[in-house]
Amino acid sequence: MLDGYLPAKLSEALDMMAECDCIPFAGGTDLMVQHARGSGVRPCFDKTLLFVSALKELKTFDLMGKTLRIGAAVTLSELLENAATPQIFKEILRQMAAAPTRHMATLAGNICNASPAGDTLPYLYAMDAEVILQSRNETRVLPVADFITAPKRTQRKNDELLTGIRIPAAEFNVESYRKLGQRKGMSLTKASFLGLASTANGRIEDIRIALGSVAPHIVRSRKIESKLTGKNIKDIPGILQELQKDYSALIRPIDDARSTAAYRKQVSLRLIRDFLINCMLKKIP
Amino acid sequence: MSKTYTSIGKAEKKIDALALATGSRRFVDDFELKDCLHCKLIYSPHAFADIIKIDESPALAMDGVVDVLSYKNTPQILHTSAGQGFPEPSPYDQYLFDKVVRFAGDRVAMVVAESPAIAETAAKKVKIAYKLRKALFDPERAMDADAPKLHGKECYTPIGAAYDPQRNLAAEVDLGFGDLKEGEEAADIVIDETYKAHYGSHCAIEPHSVKTYFDDEGRLVILASTQVPFHVRRIVARVCEFPLAKIRVIKPRIGGGFGGKQEVLLEPLAALVSIRHKRPARLVLSREEVFRNSRTRHPVRVRLRSGVKKDGTITFLEMDSLLNSGAYGSHALTVLSNCGSKVLPLLNKIENMHFLGRSVYTNLPVGGAYRGYGATQGYFALNQHLDILCRRLDIDLPEYIKKHHIREGETSKIFEALGEGKTGVQQFVNSCKLDECIDICTREIGWYGKRDKKIRSGDKVRGVGLAVAMQGSGIPLVDMAAASMKMNEDGSFNLDIGATDIGTGSDTVLAQIAAEVLNVDLDAMIVLSSDTDRTPFDVGAYASSTTYISGRAVRKCAEKILEQIIGVAAEMLETSSDKLKLSHAGVKDPASGKRIGYPEICQYAMYSANQFQIQAVASEFVEESPPPFIAQAVEVEVDTVTGAVQVLKLVSAVDCGQAINPKLAEGQIEGAAVNGISYAMTEEYIFSGNGRMINSSFKNYKIPTAADLPEMKTVVVPSHEPSGPFGAKSVGEIGINCPMPAIANAIYDAVGVRLYEAPFTPEKVYRAIRKQQEVQ
Repeated sequence: MLDGYLPAKLSEALDMMAECDCIPFAGGTDLMVQHARGSGVRPCFDKTLLFVSALKELKTFDLMGKTLRIGAAVTLSELLENAATPQIFKEILRQMAAAPTRHMATLAGNICNASPAGDTLPYLYAMDAEVILQSRNETRVLPVADFITAPKRTQRKNDELLTGIRIPAAEFNVESYRKLGQRKGMSLTKASFLGLASTANGRIEDIRIALGSVAPHIVRSRKIESKLTGKNIKDIPGILQELQKDYSALIRPIDDARSTAAYRKQVSLRLIRDFLINCMLKKIP
Repeated sequence: MSKTYTSIGKAEKKIDALALATGSRRFVDDFELKDCLHCKLIYSPHAFADIIKIDESPALAMDGVVDVLSYKNTPQILHTSAGQGFPEPSPYDQYLFDKVVRFAGDRVAMVVAESPAIAETAAKKVKIAYKLRKALFDPERAMDADAPKLHGKECYTPIGAAYDPQRNLAAEVDLGFGDLKEGEEAADIVIDETYKAHYGSHCAIEPHSVKTYFDDEGRLVILASTQVPFHVRRIVARVCEFPLAKIRVIKPRIGGGFGGKQEVLLEPLAALVSIRHKRPARLVLSREEVFRNSRTRHPVRVRLRSGVKKDGTITFLEMDSLLNSGAYGSHALTVLSNCGSKVLPLLNKIENMHFLGRSVYTNLPVGGAYRGYGATQGYFALNQHLDILCRRLDIDLPEYIKKHHIREGETSKIFEALGEGKTGVQQFVNSCKLDECIDICTREIGWYGKRDKKIRSGDKVRGVGLAVAMQGSGIPLVDMAAASMKMNEDGSFNLDIGATDIGTGSDTVLAQIAAEVLNVDLDAMIVLSSDTDRTPFDVGAYASSTTYISGRAVRKCAEKILEQIIGVAAEMLETSSDKLKLSHAGVKDPASGKRIGYPEICQYAMYSANQFQIQAVASEFVEESPPPFIAQAVEVEVDTVTGAVQVLKLVSAVDCGQAINPKLAEGQIEGAAVNGISYAMTEEYIFSGNGRMINSSFKNYKIPTAADLPEMKTVVVPSHEPSGPFGAKSVGEIGINCPMPAIANAIYDAVGVRLYEAPFTPEKVYRAIRKQQEVQ
């Protein structure tokens, strides 16, 4: 069965979600691959598809105060083209998939796919981003980190549609993103590292570290980050070993067709070190 | 290059370029056949097992399922799937369907249905019971007395080569000359290292595809994505027990082969479906099936032992190659032979040499022909070995190679001792511009100034590496090619060739050769290639043979046509042939100043007097295989934090004789270089513990994107091979041989770690760097 509905308005979409068990379909770049069958055979879906990419209400992109609000149907390419998208986020997006995929794929889809290798997730975790979930009768807001409960699992209820993402503003003067893939483009992540920090007069005011593809979930620890907040940069080397030990306990990668657990773990720890030492020390006045 | 040509050496557009770009010329799966049956193969999930039972009934009970083929209802004829000259040098160890499965991916049965979707679903419904056997995965253990035996005594080699299924030995070569002991005594140092070349997939963008149907005369037409249409016809006739005279193989446009389609895998199966049901049949593999179930590059473990004097003289060289043939022996002997025969003659001054090669069966995917064909594996070892040698003795690598490689006028005892599946042919090298190639490489890469400098930027370190190679141009005393031509009254010519253009541009190159002989524009040539009913025989597109051997046949054929044209012109102009000169698309009598054009000549021959068809047939069979030469240099940057290696620049300088079409020659070299970079950097078969490939998709088996590729510089060095058509040698394979060893040498230059096994993934490089740091 390839039944699909193309609602004209968000309210229609929410009615559909309430009335039948259907799969929200935006760019389809994950869904089509996940439901592929064989050479020369069309993908097969066991549920009705609800095509949401044309919904105007979900194509919004604005700043509410300093919070970036991104509609669920906004594609990655549109994010890349928008002047309001932070540079570091653009760098992450540019390394995702390839242009044709980015023209179709959405940020909302990357979140709902809930893969530990999801390329936008370390950024959304680091930024304390939130998702907006709407059903016919209710709207709720959840941090992305709570919304994703396990690989491929989210808190989205059957009648809910993820309609938007909110990314609170924050300014950083140290930013580092490293994606390790099998090649430069069109490559799933073996391990990724995002480090964001703001410093003033040699002191760390805010620091956020997130790692992708090295555990069943995105690794971010406010506890470890709090050990750094308020510290002098020059004191980092003194606590580096302790920090690496802390992270080591959280980094629990696997062997798969793309890489090995040992490599993922060791290189993740080296990238943390590289960020804390090489990137941060440059900021000592 | 004193001679001026009208067509040779010109970057003519591929004659099929526009039609391909607009989609008017078709690939196999573009042909729409009415009432076509769709086939889906069922494969073994086990590495080694007996099939106890196949229950087709749940599949056959489905609407739209027409048939299920298996060993129960198909001819049981031992054969090899290798598309080679007959009798093939590969062992006869395969049935179309067998009662035993020998690798995870071996074929078990095939569902035939009214649509691809029904076939897919039905394939999952066929119930198969297996009895598992203990599998063999380690080629080093294959010949152990207690190793599982893959094949029985009924298997044999039709050419009587060394073959012993009781020891899992698919092929063996053992030869040498001189005295190794003497060589060892004369040596100051002995270098003994082992290198491993790994599995690889051809990654032709068009997967293996075939469509079959009966035409209105009741003949079986096979539309095949193949490199070897005539071998397809022969093998299908034999294994399907169907008269050869009733089979017509047509090769339409092909989306790449690289050796993967020098294999007759699908054609007999689709043919059987058409024969059984008298309906068209379609069998097209998915990418996963291409990875798991077609053919691969043979992994080869090469141990090189050499003795060297302080001045660099090699006193002996011993090569021990162990080729993992996988579950069947397709190309097992010939790839093994080439691992020595295309590699060892490069160092022809060595007086004491020995080559021991063994191909063994394992319960892993099956090797086959793949661009480079053993030379790639051998040169991975030899080029690193020379780098090691030069570093041990503190000698400059490029200068060392220039001093020791084979030169014009020289020969190697290996040429005579080792052929493809039999002894070789003595031959002298008549063209070799390797010194020029090396100089271009060192200059373009900035060798002197970067080598040993370990140029650093942050955590990244740069290094440079060099490698050289030779290949061959066809298989001497084996390969034959033929051409047939006739003239039309507008001055155009039909050029019918067995040669198989698989995207290489051979239709264009061969047309250029004929156009040159006849002094006409390229568009006067109407090329028809690879139709077993319409074109004369050719072995097909492999062994770097087409430009050289098919090219010689076309030249000979065009010369016969020319002779007839001049004969007719002499009659028309009432003079003798020897007084006449060719002018563009016509013939001139310099004495009278009269000129007659080709259309008039052909019209005269057709309609006026002493009428006859201007036409000719010619074939060529060669006694030598002049090697092209190449040098390739790379600069790499190694990230010491992540182990990631980026190839920054690759220079290729090649001596392929006279390039018939320089643009296409460059395309071949660059394509092969990218192929080689890909093999060196990312391509890898990853197996589960039970021998199943786990990364059988482009999602996890990566080939480079444009962003991954280095700056490429390709130079075709002026050269002339006296025996070649207009001085040409081959160019299709050679460019894949050097990227992998050159990159390995460059990584060593950058970070001092020697990688004996590719691909050079960040994981491997990182581990090697860490290990070295621990040692220090």
